[in-house]
Amino acid sequence: MAGTRTRRGAGSEQSRTARAAALAEELHHECTLLLDLYRKKETFAEELTVGGESLVTVPPLSSQLSPNDMLWRLYSALQQCRNLLERAIGREEAVGNGGDRAQYENQKKTVRDRLGHLLASTRLLLEDGAGTAAFTPEPKNSEIDYPGNGSPFALKLWIYRIFNELEHWTLTASKTLKALHPDGATPKERRTRGRARGRRTRR
Amino acid sequence: MPSLFLGILLLGLRVTESQASGLAPPQQVRLDADTEAQKLLVTWEDGRASTFDVEILRTELMEIVFNETVVATEDQSTGKHQWNWTSPVPLECTSLSVKVRSRDGQDVSEWSSQQILPGLDLPDNTDSQMYPEGKTVPVGSNMTFCCIVKEGQQFGSLLYKDTLVKETMLSRRTYATTMTNQGPSNPSGTNVVCSDEKKMIITGAVVFVGYPPMPSDLVCETHDLISVDCQWSKGRETYLFGMARQTYYTLNGRDSNMRCGLEQWDGNWTLVARNLLGEFRLTDAAELGHRVRPVAPVNLTTPEVYSWNASVGWLWKYNGYERLSLICQVQRTSHSNSSTQTYTGYGLNTVVLKDLQPDEKYNVKVRCGSQKNFWKWGEWSLPLSFQTKMDRPVAPDIWLWMDSDNLGRVLWKPLTKSESHGQISGYEVTLWSPEENSQQTLTLPQSMYSLPINVTDRWSKVTVTARNPAGVSLPANVVIPRHLPGKNGGKGRPNSVTFNGSGFPLSWVAHANASCGYVVDWYNTSCTHDCNVEWTRVAADNTNTMVQSSNFFAGVRYTFSLYACSSESTVLLERWHGYMQELVPSRTVPRLSPNQEGSDVQLTWDQIPLEHQRGFILGYTVYLTNASHLTLLGNPSPLTLPGTGLMCVCFQGTLDVKPSPHSMVHIVEDSVWDSSKEALVTVPEEDEEGTGDEEADTDEPASLRYYNQVVEEGSSSRGRPHASDSSASSTGSMDSGHTDVTYTGIQTSACSLAPMAHFQPQPDASQCAGGGGYRPQMQSASCPEDPQTGPEEHLQPPVGSFGGYQPQCSWKQDSPEADGGGLDQACLGSPTSVTSSQFLLPYDTSEEGKEHQSSASTWFHNLLTGKP
Repeated sequence: MAGTRTRRGAGSEQSRTARAAALAEELHHECTLLLDLYRKKETFAEELTVGGESLVTVPPLSSQLSPNDMLWRLYSALQQCRNLLERAIGREEAVGNGGDRAQYENQKKTVRDRLGHLLASTRLLLEDGAGTAAFTPEPKNSEIDYPGNGSPFALKLWIYRIFNELEHWTLTASKTLKALHPDGATPKERRTRGRARGRRTRR
Repeated sequence: MPSLFLGILLLGLRVTESQASGLAPPQQVRLDADTEAQKLLVTWEDGRASTFDVEILRTELMEIVFNETVVATEDQSTGKHQWNWTSPVPLECTSLSVKVRSRDGQDVSEWSSQQILPGLDLPDNTDSQMYPEGKTVPVGSNMTFCCIVKEGQQFGSLLYKDTLVKETMLSRRTYATTMTNQGPSNPSGTNVVCSDEKKMIITGAVVFVGYPPMPSDLVCETHDLISVDCQWSKGRETYLFGMARQTYYTLNGRDSNMRCGLEQWDGNWTLVARNLLGEFRLTDAAELGHRVRPVAPVNLTTPEVYSWNASVGWLWKYNGYERLSLICQVQRTSHSNSSTQTYTGYGLNTVVLKDLQPDEKYNVKVRCGSQKNFWKWGEWSLPLSFQTKMDRPVAPDIWLWMDSDNLGRVLWKPLTKSESHGQISGYEVTLWSPEENSQQTLTLPQSMYSLPINVTDRWSKVTVTARNPAGVSLPANVVIPRHLPGKNGGKGRPNSVTFNGSGFPLSWVAHANASCGYVVDWYNTSCTHDCNVEWTRVAADNTNTMVQSSNFFAGVRYTFSLYACSSESTVLLERWHGYMQELVPSRTVPRLSPNQEGSDVQLTWDQIPLEHQRGFILGYTVYLTNASHLTLLGNPSPLTLPGTGLMCVCFQGTLDVKPSPHSMVHIVEDSVWDSSKEALVTVPEEDEEGTGDEEADTDEPASLRYYNQVVEEGSSSRGRPHASDSSASSTGSMDSGHTDVTYTGIQTSACSLAPMAHFQPQPDASQCAGGGGYRPQMQSASCPEDPQTGPEEHLQPPVGSFGGYQPQCSWKQDSPEADGGGLDQACLGSPTSVTSSQFLLPYDTSEEGKEHQSSASTWFHNLLTGKP
C-alpha cells in the first residue's frame, strides 16, 4: 500500500489520493459483504429494496465542482455514514439479540475501522488541497437518529438503510477518488501535470 | 304466485315478531380496545335481557366478522352489561362496527346504534404500518398480520421471512395474512415484510416465536461447609434473546445467573425461571452433610521422595476440612502407565505413594470427597511433577554362545528403563575359575552387550553386572559348558520345527539337571561369524516354549538349541532347524558337470550354499533337453562325496536324439516331497552346513536362460535349444542323428558309495502335494492345481493326491515340456543344465518305457545297495 514519494508536495498528494482510492474500493467491497450478511441474517429477500429519503444528506457531487469541493462533500457524506454506523452498532448492542452471527459482528467492526481510515485519508487530501483545512466540529444531525419508536422492524429497516447508504457512499468515494487521482485526468491532475510524479503503487 | 305469497307471509311474521317484542334495545353501547391483547370490550346499558345478539363488521367493506348470541349479565353495581371479544386480527388493522340487541328467547329488541372502533387505516393516518409488531408468542401459534399501506401507495406483496404469502384485503389500505403453527424464530425475530408493487419495502413487523423456560437439574451443594452453591441446566432452548425476551432466574427470591451462591445453608431452594412466555419452578432440599463437595487441594508438594516411594502433601482452603472425614483419589502418571489409589482420613492432606519405579518422572493430582454421605468428587488439583531417586539396576539377562569348543561370546540383553533404575554407566564381566580360585574382570561401556572370550579349561563361570550411578546390580551367572555333547545335541541330527504363524513351538523331555531352568537360543544357521544370537529362558518346570522374535525372516534357516542350566553346568540337550517360511532356492545347482566314460555319463554338482537354499532341499530332478523337448529322466537319488559337497548321479540307457546335435541335462532342485520321506535321499543337513562358504557360482548357465525361454513361450514356442547356449561345462556336441547310450555302471572314481544308508531311489518325488509324513514350513502357499494329464502322468501322481509336503510355489513351472502338458512340476527350483557329448537314456512314456525305467531304477538301486 505504501507509495513511493519522489518529491514532497504533489507527488505525495498523488500517492495519498491513490491510497485513499484503493482504501475506498476495499471499503466498498467490505460494505457490500456487510450488506449481504445482514440480508441473510434478516432473511430479507434480495429483490426487496429500501425506499425513503436518503439518510445521508449532502449537496450533489457535480462534475462542475472543484476537486477540493468535491472532496469536502465526499468527506461530509462519509462522516455522516460513520455517525450512522456508530449509532446502528450501538442500537444493536442495546437490543442484544444474541451475538450468534460472529461473521456479521466482525464485518461491522471491519467496516467501522476501515471507514475511519478512509475518513482520515480523505481529510489529509483536504489539507493538501486547501492548504490548512479548518475543520468545524462534526455536524450533529438529529435526523439520523433511530426513528423507530421501539419498533423492532423499524430498527432493522433503519440499519438496512444505513448499510445501503454505506454501500452507496463508499462506491461514490471509490469512483470520486479514482477520478481525482492523476491517472483520472481531473482538473486538479491537469493543474499538477508537468511536475515530477512519484511512482504509483497499486494494490 | 304461491312463492310470492309465502315470502310476504314470512316478512309479515318477522315484522310482527319485532314489533311484538317488549325488549328495549341496548343503550350507550361503548367500545374499549386492548390492542396488545387484541381484545374488544363492549359495554351497554338498559338491556333487561341476559342474552344479546352481537354483530361486528369491518366498517369499510361491511364484512361481518362476528354475529352470534352471547350471554352478558348485568353488573349490579354499575347496571351495565359487559362482553369481551378477542379478535383474530389486530384491532389496528381496520375499523370495526359493533351493534347489539337484546334477546329473550325468540324475542329480540331493535339493534342498538352502531359503534365504530376506528382502525389505523383512516385517511388521517397516512403512514404505512404493520400489526402486530414485536409480539412474543409460543411456538406453534397462529397469527394474523396486517399491512396498512401509505395513502396513495400501491400494495405489492407480503413476505413471511423470505416466503411470499397469500394476503386478504381488509380495507382500502389494509391487507392481511394469517400464519399458522409458527416455528421458532432466529435470535433477532421473524420478519414479516410488506412491499409495494415495485418490491420496495413499505413496512414490516417482527414476531418472536419461542418457548417458555424449562430449566432442570437444580442442585445445591457446599464447598466450604457453610455456604451454598446452586447450579442448574438451562434445559430446552427458548429461542428468545435480548434484554426484553431472555430468561431471568431467581433463587429463593434473589436474582441470579446460571449459578447462584447463597451465604447460608437454607436446606430448601426454589428456582424460578421467567421469560415473556411464562415461568418455571424447580426446588431442591438437602442437609448440608449430604451435599459436601470438597474444593480442589492446593499447593501440592512432595516432602519425601525415594527410589520406590514418595509422600505427597497438600493444603486445604477451608479450616473446616480438618474435621471432615475425606476420601481422596491420587492419580499418578508416568511415561508408561497411569494408576489411581484411594486414601482416607480426617482432613487428609498427605499420602505415601508406594510401588514407584526408580528414576521415573511422575505426575500426580488429587481430588477428594466426603467419606461420610459421599456426594461428589471435588475438582482435581493442579498436577505436581517429581522424579524418584535412582537405585541399582537389576541383574542383566546373560548367555554364553559358543562359536566353537574354545571360542564363545558372553551376551547380555540391554536393560529396559524399568530394569536400569537409572542411566547405565557400564558393565563388568568376570571370568571365574573356582578350581584355581582366580578371576579376571573386564569393565565395558554401556553400549556393549557382548564379549568374545577364549574358553579354556581355566574358566568355568562367567558373571556380568550392570552399573549405574546408584550402584552395581546383582551378578548374573552362566556356567561355561566344558564340552558340548555333539554339535546337534543328544539326538544327533537336528529335528525340524515348523513355524505356526506366531512362532516356533518347541517341546522336549524334562531334563534332570535343569535346576535353574532351560535356555533356548537361536541364530541364522548360515551365519558364520558375529551372528545375531537371541535367547529365551524357560522355567525348570516347563518343557515347551514358543520362540517368537521380530527378527525372523522368510527363506532363512534358523537353528534352535535347548540347554539345561544348573549352577554346575550348562548342557546342550537338543537342536532344531526351521524356517519361518520356506522359499524356492534362490540360485541354480552349481558346478553341474558330466563325466563320461564310454557310454556312461556321470553327473556331478555342488551343494547349493545354505543361504540360497531358502528351504529344506528334498531332492533333485534331472531333465534331458533334446531339441524342443525337455524330458524328465527321473528323480535320481544323488550321492554325496564325503567332505566335498559334491553330488553325483549316473545314468544308463539308450537315447534317440536325432536330429538334435546336443543333449542337455537340467538339474532342478526339487522342493517336492513324496509321502514317504524315508524313501528320499537328501543331503544330511549337518553336511550342508559346511558348504556355506563355498564359492558361489554366480553365472547363470546359458542353457538355463534358454530353458526359461522355452517355459515362458509355452506350447506356441517350440524353440530349439542352441548348442552355443550351453554352459561352460558342456563338452561339445556330437552331431549324430541317432546314438544309443548305455550306462553300465557308476564311475566309482568320481562317486562315493558312502551315504548308501540314505539312498533309496524315488523317481516320483516331484509332486506338489506330499503324504502325511512331512509337514511343510510355509505360510499359506497353495499349489496350483493342474487338471491336465500329460504323457508322464502315470509317473507323476496328480496334484493333491497326497497331503504331505506343500511346497512354496513362488517359482512355478507349468511344465518343462514345450507343450506344457506333461509334468506337474509346479514347484521347482531353478534348473541347471549341462550338455552331454553322449545321448542319455530317453524317457519313454509308453508302458514299455515305463518298464524299462523301472528296471533301470531297480538296477541302479541294486548296484548301490550291493545287490547283484
